[in-house]
Amino acid sequence: MSATLLHRPAWYVLGPLIGLVVVGLAATINERFGVLGGFSDVVERATGRTHALGWKSWLLFGVLAGSLVYRLIAGAPTVHHGYGWLTRTFTGHWQILAGAVLVVAGGLIGFGAKTAGGCTSGNGLGGCAAGSTASFAATATFMGTAIVVSFVIKGLI
Amino acid sequence: MRVRGAAALFGAVFGFLISWGQFSDPDRIRAMLLLDDPYLYLMMASAIAVASAGLWLLRRNGARAAFTGHPIRLETSRPQRRHFAGAAIFGLGWAIADSCPAPIAAQLTQGVAWSLCTIAGIAVGIVLFLRRQERAGAQAAKSVRSGSRSPRSTASSTSTHAIPRDSASTRA
Repeated sequence: MSATLLHRPAWYVLGPLIGLVVVGLAATINERFGVLGGFSDVVERATGRTHALGWKSWLLFGVLAGSLVYRLIAGAPTVHHGYGWLTRTFTGHWQILAGAVLVVAGGLIGFGAKTAGGCTSGNGLGGCAAGSTASFAATATFMGTAIVVSFVIKGLI
Repeated sequence: MRVRGAAALFGAVFGFLISWGQFSDPDRIRAMLLLDDPYLYLMMASAIAVASAGLWLLRRNGARAAFTGHPIRLETSRPQRRHFAGAAIFGLGWAIADSCPAPIAAQLTQGVAWSLCTIAGIAVGIVLFLRRQERAGAQAAKSVRSGSRSPRSTASSTSTHAIPRDSASTRA
């Protein structure tokens, strides 16, 4: 079992399963899938903007739990050493910069996704599956931007 | 209670699946963004295809949500400037962190301590967005009170409670 989980399944297995999660959420509670809303729900509750956690928070808690279950069954995390290009670039004492860069990147992710009305799951999966043209536009924009920026980073480091 | 339970259940399945697909590994995302690995694109395309077909079938049959009884009808909206601008900012952050909200959450419970930095950043980004939105709302209210027309719409609210489903524009 754990050996199976340490290798990712074929895309044509994983993709449809994730598609069914999107359908399942709509079929049971009539809501569009998206994970950033859970972060926002928690932040709004923590800052006193709301007085209760909504279903989006519970979706996020589920993601946290599902990943924990994966970790326990697989017996190993999916990230083994450091954190990608950041900890390969910033080493030794400079590694603190990797953390600082991640905070800034997180800020861009949070602010940008809230402005765009969704993240990779909210716009890319939930919104596109629902046929929202705004989500198609946002998905094309963040995909294109991320590809260009990745090549720029590759050229710089 | 059942609504929260369903959200948690589907979230858990999603968290497990993205972990299995290794989307929580920033090097996997980087390989995809550098066009070295088509896996995520193919996975997303097939997920959207299956989800679109499933949602279409639900709507076509006039299905009602099992736990709420409401007719199944998900929000859609037309592209506005904020969708492009916000997505460009998000894409920049995504390419730097090589991760996005769901995989970042998955990293946390897999014991990847670096995710704490990204999560802190996300919280700050959300607060900045909310403050900006609140300022815009206050200005609009002031304009209405003073009798002048609001110069621009403030419909970028993230609240889904106050916005009719047909016109809700933000689902973050």
